[in-house]
Amino acid sequence: MAPPDTGHIVVDGHPIAFKPDDSVAIAILRAGETPAQGGTLCLAGDCGNCLVEADGIAYVRSCQVRARPGLTVRRHPRVVMPPLPSVSDPDVTRTPAARETAVERAEVDLVVVGGGASGKRAHVAAEKAGRRVLLLDAAEGQEVVAVYAGPTVVARTGTGMLHVRSGEVVVATGAAEFHPVCAGSQLDGLLTAGAAARLHRAGVDLGVTVAVGTPPAGVPCTVAAGRLVRFEGEGRVSAVVTADNSGTEVTTQCDTVVLGLGLAPRDMLARMAGDAPVRAVGPAAKEHDLPPPPTDGVVCPCSGTTVDDLQSAWDRGFGELELLKRASLAGVGTCQGGACLPHIRSWIAARSDTVPPPFTARPASRQITLAEASADTYIDAFRRTPLHDEHLALGGRMDRFGGWWRPWHYGDHIAEYWAVREAVSLGDVSTLGKLVVSGPDVVEFLERLYPCNVADIKVGRSRYALLLNERGHVIDDGMILRDDETRFVLSFTSGGAANAEMWVRDWIETWGLRVHVLDQTMSLAAVNITGPLARTLLQRAGLADPPRFLGHVHADVAGVPCHVMRLSFTGEAAFELHHPVDRSIELWRALMELGADLGIRPHGLKALFGLRLEKGHVIVGMDSEMDSTPRRLGMDWAVRMEKPFFIGKPSLARTAPLPDHRRLTGFTIPGEAPTEGSPIWSGGEIVGHVTGSWTSPVLGHAVMLGWLKRTPFPDRVEIDGREAVVAPTPFYDPEGHRARA
Amino acid sequence: MPALEPMPGLRVVADPEALDRASWWGDRDVTVLRLAPDDALAVGARRVEIDDEHAIIEEEAGFVGAWLTAEEFAEWVLPRIEWPLPADRPTVAQGSVAGVPAKLWLRVTGGALLLAQAAYADELAGRLG
Repeated sequence: MAPPDTGHIVVDGHPIAFKPDDSVAIAILRAGETPAQGGTLCLAGDCGNCLVEADGIAYVRSCQVRARPGLTVRRHPRVVMPPLPSVSDPDVTRTPAARETAVERAEVDLVVVGGGASGKRAHVAAEKAGRRVLLLDAAEGQEVVAVYAGPTVVARTGTGMLHVRSGEVVVATGAAEFHPVCAGSQLDGLLTAGAAARLHRAGVDLGVTVAVGTPPAGVPCTVAAGRLVRFEGEGRVSAVVTADNSGTEVTTQCDTVVLGLGLAPRDMLARMAGDAPVRAVGPAAKEHDLPPPPTDGVVCPCSGTTVDDLQSAWDRGFGELELLKRASLAGVGTCQGGACLPHIRSWIAARSDTVPPPFTARPASRQITLAEASADTYIDAFRRTPLHDEHLALGGRMDRFGGWWRPWHYGDHIAEYWAVREAVSLGDVSTLGKLVVSGPDVVEFLERLYPCNVADIKVGRSRYALLLNERGHVIDDGMILRDDETRFVLSFTSGGAANAEMWVRDWIETWGLRVHVLDQTMSLAAVNITGPLARTLLQRAGLADPPRFLGHVHADVAGVPCHVMRLSFTGEAAFELHHPVDRSIELWRALMELGADLGIRPHGLKALFGLRLEKGHVIVGMDSEMDSTPRRLGMDWAVRMEKPFFIGKPSLARTAPLPDHRRLTGFTIPGEAPTEGSPIWSGGEIVGHVTGSWTSPVLGHAVMLGWLKRTPFPDRVEIDGREAVVAPTPFYDPEGHRARA
Repeated sequence: MPALEPMPGLRVVADPEALDRASWWGDRDVTVLRLAPDDALAVGARRVEIDDEHAIIEEEAGFVGAWLTAEEFAEWVLPRIEWPLPADRPTVAQGSVAGVPAKLWLRVTGGALLLAQAAYADELAGRLG
């Protein structure tokens, strides 16, 4: 059932009556108020001067929204942009409510955009020619917002989005009226001639009305002759000043000024299409006269760009339309140049004797919501470990990390931290990359791949390894575990696993080595048992003799076949249990039950990142940069330059004698940890930034990793307005007794 | 859309010629998908005999999938594939289905086995409706 055509909308908490066919803007103007706060109104959807928030959606043109009972409207404050939502609760784990938007698809021979006279003619002609034609008219609720190569036309409809593939597109969107640019042009009470005609037809009282330029037919008004000079008034226009050819100014008192200053083609969609078969017809294709070059006032109402701003950018060398747009932000706002483009072209023409063509138009021509933009498109799929539901049941707050959903914490990351430090804890590390490599050439291959020695890793033992590219930059890290003479298991970081797999395969192929590769990243889950009681828990689970540090065994744990690896990322004793994904819940629950009296609790990434930071463990991709060498990371110890060859060795050898100006460094600071990403200051200059930061419960002060990028490297720096001291890592248990216990 | 169920089997990486000659056993029908010349996923397999001493042979529990009739495939899957399917039948096809990495065993009947890693199961099921 159609909504009633009269009633009330709610504007800033107050009801405002509307009449049949009223738009929101007209209803507000009928009530003697203004939809936005200042600037000429076109009521044709061309400018951004009537933007409101309608039913919770910001940047809505109130002139394009039909009033309906109960519609809630909030007017934007008198600023260029409406305020962003509060970020006082930076809980990244909370998923905002989704707004579903349906998509319809169609395929035709011709799309005609615009239902005016030109559009209707094109429509009829195409139908007569037997072509499948679709007419999309904003006035009928089908607002085209984008034309892509193809061409594909995207329109917003009353029920969602419409995606149309078409052989050809005809843009028949007519022409837009010039907005005035002069002093006072941001006052209320200014209307284009078309807007005045609409309001008059709607029965809205315009008060004492003065027209400048061509007056609208049928609208009672007096005409102020001459050239527009400025508007006067406080908040709302009270007079308009014009001048004759001699420069004599005439001031005319009024309540409303109506402006018939000229037209510009409404051809944004045609300019958006690039090389696609799209053409404009009718007024949209006509080359109208430009307005006189502006000398004062706001040129771009959306961005608040003034004539002085244009001049400033021009004086700094941005002497071309596209550059001027970027430097001044004129034309990048909500109307995409609908109001300002003719004025800017005219302004440039006056300085260069050349009228520049309009700037490039890009989708979308109208503000659309993220739901509308993303409707029926697929975002990256984030993976879930088999323990996902277990985490949720335990109160886990999930977040996306490295392409996976992972528990950030379970409600108390400090308690999780202490469980690791003092008792035993479980972590879901199923996301780690896991490759099996096997073959007669596998040792040769791994020796070439890694900068550490591989051949001397004994069966049942493992070694930490960096992965370098040809430039000697660290691209990933992980473990090398030897299963037998010709078979190894390689682990990689969660986020780097996919690239690492391609890297491995590429080099095997490049070198023509006989090595098989199986990626088990998503076939095996992994649980990390860590803490001083980890060994006790494993023994309770049936593993009488857990492996010693850097050892690994294949054994059943709680009845589940596992590859048990002894290593440590937390700084405490730790055992990773890699096992089939279909047995993961069974294993997790058994361990939680067996460890109940040991104080077991799971830990999330937040606690894990703090624990690793106390140990000074680098996370590749978080602490490292694209060109981080082992030396810059302080990890020369992981490189064996005496090896005959490994990927990256020539670059490292070449750069080794050169001084380096970057170093990942440890810092300590009293009190709470500064925000990660904080700048590091020394001698009044920014010399780096913090990559990892944590208020250490066990140390009682903050510990950080961060980059120093100025030499000589200082001993003391300033972070977050406080003095921080360069400190060696690990910050905690530097001898590694606890990890090896 | 039929529910995605676990599709246990064997995963074998070996010399292509050895894989060509491999013998497979299972408790039920075994469907061998050659994901690459040296890589086979044998759905339903429990044992393999293969002439490659360095072959990697692992029990595979990381896939979920559904056997679809021609009608189900046309209704649920085909509209969500934005890449050309191979014309041969039967054959393996690999690519995104509804934006999720997936594998297809396209049968001569017009039906298909839709497979995805279990880590994507919820995402794929949600997108296929």
